[in-house]
Amino acid sequence: MLLPKSSLLVLLCLCSTLALFAQQNISGKIKDAVSGKPLPGVTVRVPNTNKGTITDPGGAYTLVVPAGATSLVVSYTGYKSQTITLKTGESVYNISIEEDFARLEEIVVTGLATNVKRSNLANAVATISGQELNGVAPAQTFDAALSGKVPGALITANSGAPGGGISVKMRGITSVFGNSQPLYVVDGIFFNNSSIPAGLNDVTGAATSGNPNNQDNPSSRIADLNPEDIENIEILKGASAAAMYGAKAAAGVIIITTKKGKTGKTKISFNQEVGFTKVRHLMGVRTFTADAAADLAGAADNPSPAVQAKRAAYKQQFTDAKNAGKIYDYEKEMFGETGLVLNSGISLSGGGEKTTFYLSGNRRQEDGIVKHTGYFNNSIRLNVDHKINDRVSLGVTTNYIGSSADRGLTNNDNNGVSYGVALSSTPDFVDLHPNALGEYPRNPFAASNPLETRDLMANNEKTNRFVGGANLEIKLQQNDRSTTRLIGRGGIDYFNYKTAALFPRNLQFEENGLQGHSIQGNTNNTNTNIAGFVVNNFTPNPNLSLTSTVGATLETGFMDNIVTSATNLVSGQSNLDASANTTTRQFRQKFRDNGIFIQEDLSLMEALTVSGGVRFDRSTNNGDFQKYYVFPKGSFSWNLTKMKFWNISSIDNLKIRAAYGQSGNVPPYGSKFTGMLGSNIGGFPGVLVDNLQGNPDIKPERQAEFETGLDISVLNGRVSLEATYYNKNIYDVLLRHALPASSGYANEWKNSGDLKNQGLELGLNLIPVNTRSFRWNSSINFWFNRSKVTKLIIPPYAIGAFGNSLGTFYLEEGAPATQIKGTVGSDLKLIGDAEPKFQMSFFNEVTLFKNFSLRFLIHWKKGGDNINLTQLLTDLGATSFDYDDMISGTKAGAFRPGAGDASIYVQDASYVRIREIGLYYNVPLKNTKNVKGIRVGVSANNFFTWTKYVGYDPEVSNFGSNTITTSQSRGSIGLSTGVDVMPFPASKRASFHVGIDF
Amino acid sequence: MKKYISTIAVVVSLLVINACQKGEINSLNTPVVDGITKDPSRSDLFNLVTGAESGMRNSLAVYIDGTGIIGREIYRFSSAEPRYTTDLLGGGTKQLDNNTFYLTNPWAARYQVSRQCFILLDAIKNTRTEVASDQQKKAFSGFAKTLIGYQLLLNINLTNTNGARIPVANGGTLGGVVTDPAVVMDSVLKFLNDGKADLTGSEVIFPLSDGFLGFKDAAGLLKFNRAIAARVYIYRQQWASALAALNESFLDLNGDQNKGIYHAFSTNGGDLANTLFLAPNGNGEVRVSHPTFATDILAGDNRLQTKTALRTSSASQGGLTGNRDVIIWSSLNAPISVIRNEELILIYAEAKIQLNAIPDAIVAINRIRLAHNLPPYAGLTTQAALITEMLYERRYSLFMEGHRWIDLRRYNLLNTLPKDRPDDDIWTKYPLPQNESNL
Repeated sequence: MLLPKSSLLVLLCLCSTLALFAQQNISGKIKDAVSGKPLPGVTVRVPNTNKGTITDPGGAYTLVVPAGATSLVVSYTGYKSQTITLKTGESVYNISIEEDFARLEEIVVTGLATNVKRSNLANAVATISGQELNGVAPAQTFDAALSGKVPGALITANSGAPGGGISVKMRGITSVFGNSQPLYVVDGIFFNNSSIPAGLNDVTGAATSGNPNNQDNPSSRIADLNPEDIENIEILKGASAAAMYGAKAAAGVIIITTKKGKTGKTKISFNQEVGFTKVRHLMGVRTFTADAAADLAGAADNPSPAVQAKRAAYKQQFTDAKNAGKIYDYEKEMFGETGLVLNSGISLSGGGEKTTFYLSGNRRQEDGIVKHTGYFNNSIRLNVDHKINDRVSLGVTTNYIGSSADRGLTNNDNNGVSYGVALSSTPDFVDLHPNALGEYPRNPFAASNPLETRDLMANNEKTNRFVGGANLEIKLQQNDRSTTRLIGRGGIDYFNYKTAALFPRNLQFEENGLQGHSIQGNTNNTNTNIAGFVVNNFTPNPNLSLTSTVGATLETGFMDNIVTSATNLVSGQSNLDASANTTTRQFRQKFRDNGIFIQEDLSLMEALTVSGGVRFDRSTNNGDFQKYYVFPKGSFSWNLTKMKFWNISSIDNLKIRAAYGQSGNVPPYGSKFTGMLGSNIGGFPGVLVDNLQGNPDIKPERQAEFETGLDISVLNGRVSLEATYYNKNIYDVLLRHALPASSGYANEWKNSGDLKNQGLELGLNLIPVNTRSFRWNSSINFWFNRSKVTKLIIPPYAIGAFGNSLGTFYLEEGAPATQIKGTVGSDLKLIGDAEPKFQMSFFNEVTLFKNFSLRFLIHWKKGGDNINLTQLLTDLGATSFDYDDMISGTKAGAFRPGAGDASIYVQDASYVRIREIGLYYNVPLKNTKNVKGIRVGVSANNFFTWTKYVGYDPEVSNFGSNTITTSQSRGSIGLSTGVDVMPFPASKRASFHVGIDF
Repeated sequence: MKKYISTIAVVVSLLVINACQKGEINSLNTPVVDGITKDPSRSDLFNLVTGAESGMRNSLAVYIDGTGIIGREIYRFSSAEPRYTTDLLGGGTKQLDNNTFYLTNPWAARYQVSRQCFILLDAIKNTRTEVASDQQKKAFSGFAKTLIGYQLLLNINLTNTNGARIPVANGGTLGGVVTDPAVVMDSVLKFLNDGKADLTGSEVIFPLSDGFLGFKDAAGLLKFNRAIAARVYIYRQQWASALAALNESFLDLNGDQNKGIYHAFSTNGGDLANTLFLAPNGNGEVRVSHPTFATDILAGDNRLQTKTALRTSSASQGGLTGNRDVIIWSSLNAPISVIRNEELILIYAEAKIQLNAIPDAIVAINRIRLAHNLPPYAGLTTQAALITEMLYERRYSLFMEGHRWIDLRRYNLLNTLPKDRPDDDIWTKYPLPQNESNL
């Protein structure tokens, strides 16, 4: 590309009819005010015209300015805009621009097609740059990278299993049985994030007794996204900001913008990460003695001769094992592997005046901390932007993802087959290792030999996914005072998801039972969304600007999930037809939602912003599919520093703001029907009434959120504070209301009460030091939420986890939605609350001599209880590491489960965690033509954690967060995180990075 | 202005696109209740009957285990589920939980079958005579009512004086919790007697599994109905009525004692496997007889070998040890009994003892003893001695069929059950499920 520099000239629009003769050439260089570094890509333009250009890699620009122009505006992302007055006769302007520390000029999306500068924003919208997301210590998957970065959110990893699975709850409890997870929008495409179970329940029976909710621990589909493609993330936390997204946005919206090409030389960037992953923490195991081994059979004073004989046998077995040196730490053997992490990414971007592109490929490969587990993700993205002419521009994004996760067998089970449950009753003196022929001994202490299960089973999830979308923008008209644009947007998200769980017939728990399972699932899912908007900007005079938007949206979804479970397998085979018995389950769901909205934004003197809008929504999931529900919104912000009377120069930004919005959360698919489920006997097909009663009058939950806040920045933006209070009410909460079982139904769908969430979010950004050779940038966030059930028109009831005697979430009017009650003695008492008291995060970036940078993120979660049934199971299996400690004269491991006190296992899950820490170095390059930059670095993710919580990790969820509900199985609910039942242990990672730019 | 026209046209066309997509999205996966009861076809009715028969098996294993554990018939060891050895045996300070699986699952499953039967009754009401004649409809409703009665009986067995609700027809309002078990059992009898009236002279066209082998026609279902009624009458201590019901049942003093009605199981697609089957000598998931099962049995009684088998290595959990696996169910395809001739013979004996017809009672008792390799009864012929004998036979003949705990409760003998650990308890009844307060 040997084009002259002038070809970089970008004429944003050629509508102008200015005469050519009265022109003047202006040129110069643009630099950073502090470091003096030349800045490429800075926009320089003449205000109120369409004349403009951007700087080249050396920071230089040239611009043809019409005569009569008196000023130039220089703007650049992350920097403050500057207006330069042009002097006659001068043609060279070298300009130093200052960083916008308080990010006041950042453009933030406020509607589906409109945006506003942060300095006028009425909501607390969190933004995360690609750098913050991925540039410190990359997490395994995109969703995990959000942890600790979103004030107002409670983000919890469900488990450490490869392939992700994260619960994100913004501003408390949005919904209990409706959707409680945010909507992900990637370049305008609604990105499906459901978790689809693999049918492991057929083997584990996890959902067959204590709790009917699925506990298969599937991955979430947002994990498919390649974090390196992300340019920027904006997080709309509730209805006041997200109302224009309509019915799917009640739990917030995560708007992801991927990278786009820039006009100029083609830039090639290659990044390689090599690292390892290890278990974050092992609980430890009990060290047996001969007496402890004997006690497994019964007490020493038990008169039964059978017990005494068994005691002697165990004692002998222990002594033999000890003498032979065959005492094993199975926890370490199972979870102690070190996994290799390889992550390679390459991207190409560039383009000409009309067309720009971004092409990237990424390959992530990672072994788990358990043998035969791991994650593999391949992603290719092509984003193309094209200007058809001055009025019409088109952007297309495409993304193919192929991912594969081997997730092992963890979480709760009722058949003693998952790794953790089997380990919990396996003492250290039994030998489970295979003999020379590869035959595994039978585990006399559990239903399965976990080493055998691990080595011979498979639980794989494969995804092939295509996500593509287009954005068409047409300038319908433009004149001095108004511009009208038509925006059309459409996207499709298709994936095929294949699960394969194979349990050969020779496993300990299969050989005398169902003799092998091959459970294969196939899901095809298609989501589409299309939308059209007309936006009119009207600026009658420089102090007043009005933006009107009208639009319509339509989203559809169709999922078809088929799971076939084959048992009694032909030896060594996994094919479904190589079996004696097969059962197939199919679940289909389909929806169609549409909405119409209008919005009006008014801006006065860049100081006062008032916005109002209303949206009409309907959905086929509602009882009345034709009814439009109305959701209004309004917001207001007043930036005092932009007022004429403002004369306190030390305060450079002071804004008060308030916003109110409503949004609906549609009922889940199928909630309006009472189904008749298949139930066969004797070879006859039968249908049996579902125990979940549908409700033909079901309507969406209505969320009304009010937030207000104050933003202030002083010392030239080097200290800025953002404070927000919100009050989020949810009316007509959708509940699977427990009915008296004597009605024949266990639950009924009902809009049955109101919920309230209130909270505070404080963000403090500091730049304590900012010199040429040393720069320190720090941000501290503090937030908390309090929820309360303000109205419940049904009697209070327990909604899980596993019954009162083990602690259960309990919905009750006047109490927090997240309270945990349990049996203490013979009473049902309040024994905990899953809501954290507060959370804090502390991000620091220190840059030394321009080229060294150290970044770290500390996350503190204070309070919030877990129901720790992992400890219960190890106590019952007599393998807890502290089993032999004494409590009230009894061994701890015997005391705890026998105390009749559920509060013993409801435990504080506070932690302080260094989420990310990274040290990077930009290798200074001299006299190189081809290589533009080299970066090297080391990073550690989730490496240091301080917690008193006993268990693999305080972040855990046995029930997942987004598991779909099918006609035969119940999915995740909004209140089930924090239940700890033998999860896949969490891991930590450390990596070495190298990146080269060409 | 021209430009605005095009704008408006685009907006309008977008709205039109939306408006084009019309129509409700109905249930894609299953039939729905409202659909199936409105003018049902023959297949619809058959599907409902099959669903009802099939549904009776849901959570049955935990009913049998629970009553078996509390009645000290067995220990159930599970590495994943502690509450079989804690709550149900009253270990430590544990109480029975009113909101957990061992109670709520079987309880709800029984009422679910009742709901299904009421849906079937609704469907029958709306059935055209071309689909089923009145005589044929009677068989459906008789079968439905019989099942409703039987399912309610199982639940009141659990909660006893904590009560139960009488199931009501679709759309009906649930009444209060009836805490007098006698009143609930009278309601059971009412359902059974209504069922009997419908079954009499009816014609069965619907299919039943081979669990009903020999009882698939109207006469057979009537016998089944009366057998259950006989059980309820002895619970109600209406001895003469029990004998009358037995007369119309399949009681056969000299016949096959295993003849009766069963729940069929299979590993076929869409069917249920018998989860009471656990492979002998397994680990982790174990069901062993309570040690007293072997120590209390009379020498030579073959029920020791036919119902349990010595393990190669004893099993332990929570300080409890057992060494005999329960082998009543031989495979995942093995049936579970609903009611058998052996029980009817024992009901006959009990009614006769209570009515002081001692010789008749002894004849029946000896039928049982003979079948199990025991010599004829030679003990005292007092009522009290024979009750003890009858309870012994019931304990071993009906081992793990859900009877012993209820029998001892009927005769106020729960205090004779052994406590294996100092803090254990013998529960007399399950609590009323927590969800029954949700009205």
